[in-house]
Amino acid sequence: MSRASRREYHQRLKEALDNRFLGQTLARFQGNYRGSREAGFAGMDFPALAAEVGAAKDAALGRLEELYEQFKAQAEAAGAQVHLAADAAHAREIIADIAAQTGSRRIVKSKSMTSEEIHLNRHLEAQGLQVTETDLGEWIIQLRGEGPSHMVAPAIHLSRSQVAELFTQVTGQKQDPEDIAALVEVARSRLRRAMLEADMGISGANFALASTGTIATVTNEGNARLVTTLPRVHVALVGLEKLVPDLNTALKILRLLPRSATGQLISTYVTWITGAVECAAAGGRKDLHIVFLDNGRLALSQDPVFSQALRCVRCGSCANVCPIFGKVGGHTYGHVYIGAIGLILTYFYHGREAARELVKNCLNCQACKVNCPAGIDLPGLIKKTAGLVMAEQGRPLKNQLMRRVLTNRPLFHFLLRRAYLAQKPLARGGRLIRHLPLFFAPDQEFRSLPVVAAEPLRDRWQRLAPRVSNPRLKVALFGGCLTDFVYPEQGEAMLKLLAGRDIQVDYPLGQSCCGLPAAMASEEETAREVARQNLAALEAEHYDYVLTLCASCASHLKHYPRLLADDPAWTQRAEHMAAKVIDLASFLQKEVGLEPVAGRGAKAAYHAPCHLCRGLGVHQAPRQLLQGAGYDYRPYEDEEVCCGFGGSYSLDFPELSAAILERKLKQVTATGAELLVTDCPGCVLQLEGGLDHRGSPIRVRHLAQALAEAQGK
Amino acid sequence: MSQPQLRQEFSRRAEAVSAVVKTVESLEDAFAQAARLTREQGGACLAAPGWEPGELAALQAACEREGLELITQGLRERAGQFHTGLTRAQWGVAETGTIVVDSASEDLRLATMLAEMHVAVLPAANLRADLFALEDEVNRTLGRAPGYLAFISGPSRTGDIELVLTLGAHGPRQLHILLLEESS
Ligand code: SF4
Ligand code: SF4
Repeated sequence: MSRASRREYHQRLKEALDNRFLGQTLARFQGNYRGSREAGFAGMDFPALAAEVGAAKDAALGRLEELYEQFKAQAEAAGAQVHLAADAAHAREIIADIAAQTGSRRIVKSKSMTSEEIHLNRHLEAQGLQVTETDLGEWIIQLRGEGPSHMVAPAIHLSRSQVAELFTQVTGQKQDPEDIAALVEVARSRLRRAMLEADMGISGANFALASTGTIATVTNEGNARLVTTLPRVHVALVGLEKLVPDLNTALKILRLLPRSATGQLISTYVTWITGAVECAAAGGRKDLHIVFLDNGRLALSQDPVFSQALRCVRCGSCANVCPIFGKVGGHTYGHVYIGAIGLILTYFYHGREAARELVKNCLNCQACKVNCPAGIDLPGLIKKTAGLVMAEQGRPLKNQLMRRVLTNRPLFHFLLRRAYLAQKPLARGGRLIRHLPLFFAPDQEFRSLPVVAAEPLRDRWQRLAPRVSNPRLKVALFGGCLTDFVYPEQGEAMLKLLAGRDIQVDYPLGQSCCGLPAAMASEEETAREVARQNLAALEAEHYDYVLTLCASCASHLKHYPRLLADDPAWTQRAEHMAAKVIDLASFLQKEVGLEPVAGRGAKAAYHAPCHLCRGLGVHQAPRQLLQGAGYDYRPYEDEEVCCGFGGSYSLDFPELSAAILERKLKQVTATGAELLVTDCPGCVLQLEGGLDHRGSPIRVRHLAQALAEAQGK
Repeated sequence: MSQPQLRQEFSRRAEAVSAVVKTVESLEDAFAQAARLTREQGGACLAAPGWEPGELAALQAACEREGLELITQGLRERAGQFHTGLTRAQWGVAETGTIVVDSASEDLRLATMLAEMHVAVLPAANLRADLFALEDEVNRTLGRAPGYLAFISGPSRTGDIELVLTLGAHGPRQLHILLLEESS
């Protein structure tokens, strides 16, 4: 069964990838978004503000029940009726009952992800009620019988021609796809009528203020205002996590929400409704019902790890910046909730079956995390959610193997060495394997794969390492599997750069894999065990720095203190080590200061590894070093977008890995670069394999190699 | 921020979201402008709920000059028939070009929602730097239940079809803000 659902999910991904219009629309959408968001946050300290929102939300989530009671008392004093629905079915029942009691037959809705969550429309329609969505995008997908493909822009997957065709059917009059204003006009006049005639309006809410019993909606079109004003009955369906203590908290969120959603400083309409307001259609005051939805939220809010997911303010940003969403869109990258947060919430709100394949589909590129206005560690939670799914259905064989192999360094390294022998014939004497036998790794043909080195870095070390009698700095090199066993030449280049500078570099031989692959496979216990082994092997207390050529290893080593947070015997040691971890570019700038090289070097493009630019926050150093070394640096738009490697991700989702790589290589090629430089061996593997597969003359170099070559070393 | 700075920033931000900002010297001036705009756009009816009886005389006169019908209540019955909604705004927010309109009254709400053009008269003295500077005032308003408070920044818009920005999705197609200079 699990295989079938896997096959089916990959089939859907393939269809999305084959949809050319979708690809173009999403690329344009993400490109525009990046610029608008940047302008929206210009001059603001986003990380600090996001942390502030995160803390404010956490405080509220810690006392949801109390906030609910306070809200209820305030809102009821103001004439509202407040309900609490335990789950989706209960909420649907409550709302259908309100419709029945108030004799409502015609219902208009403004956009509410919560109502999507409980599949409300289907239920109300089954009761013979007429339900009309009034948000333009929602109306379009309702007419097409689809779900939203984005939490903020629900019809983003559709072209103007598709909308024109649809509206031609609806109106019986030919609609011109190029006249978007006229298309909007069709919706405006049709929906205005529906809203004037409706008995009941259903809205969501972005905030529920406990202090005054106020609900607030944040919209651009203005339909939420009409939906909450024209009909005589108003039902607001609100997730419990929308409760905040007061206006101040809401304003803090409001400062980030529209900027994160669309780059707007504020949405056109922010509306604050307190109690049952005047309503002529109701013969006096509005019949206002506020239905809070639990559906697992209260339990989730008590969870020490996953409560973070409830901080989400539904800005959609985590989809907007996600390279996977950018390739396949929301119908395959979400269930009801979409994007990174969707991968997590699907499991909690819609169950394991809906989440099983979806939750594996993350590159851990961190783009969502650094952009989330609520400061949610989305990739971390995604891995943990995948861990829950796995725990429930049994760990796959490959995870069990990983545990056995990774926690036993001699065995692991023995297997790597043996891999060299096994691969040798496939490489036909070259450094890259172009054609893998299909049974070995299906769908991997989009890139060539490197051969495991005949002699790993650890075996060469004695020969190569400089002997420094009076070192001014002592550095431990953390090699990582790829530098050690696949790309030892990157380590050699680094040694050349550091030669003659009174720096002692050691290679502690007890070190093993950093453990990131285990963490990525949701094998947390394995990751912890490997971390402890590395801490013991590195003996960081004897060194000034722990240097690595691999951005992924570096960011994972820095993560050790959190990984071992529950293990007091190791936390402190992990913290000391983590503080010494440094990437090559930062180390060179800080401690070495390479001599500038004059003259016009090769044209070089740069790929920023996810774990360097977002994981470690290193942005300028590598680019400055390249320019200092005389390279003719050629920038391009997506420099900081993931290359699609993601470790084992590229094995599990080869179709997406290939598509994301393709976009990157296209841009790199367009710069006219002769050289593509990056500073992570995983990215080297992906980029070099992809370029080789296309027969491109562009060479890929680790930063260490590029700099050493420029220095004539 | 000084008053002139607030005014400058407010206008810049409001115009950036497609509102039109003009300065007026008196309420009479504001009424005259609203009526003239309505006539120029081919409107025949102006809805103006929430004004004091003493103020209505001047407005009535302005409408008569332009040949417009003036209505002040029962807007629901007249949906689709009035071109302009003329209301007060209580505060303005420079950072975002936002006006804050206390719209607990249903007619007032409908004027700002169902009209093709919303004209709001905002006392320049009530401009604030950002929303946090208005926190106390907003909190007081929220405390007066039942209530309906609107932050409005520009005319209604949508980007739902291929992200092409289109004004006038469901609410007014135009927002004119008349900054009232007089101190009263
Ligand atoms: S998780 Fe963060 S980025 Fe994603 S929608 Fe929620 S608030 Fe926005
Ligand atoms: S980590 Fe990257 S791939 Fe994973 S959900 Fe976030 S943006 Fe998407």
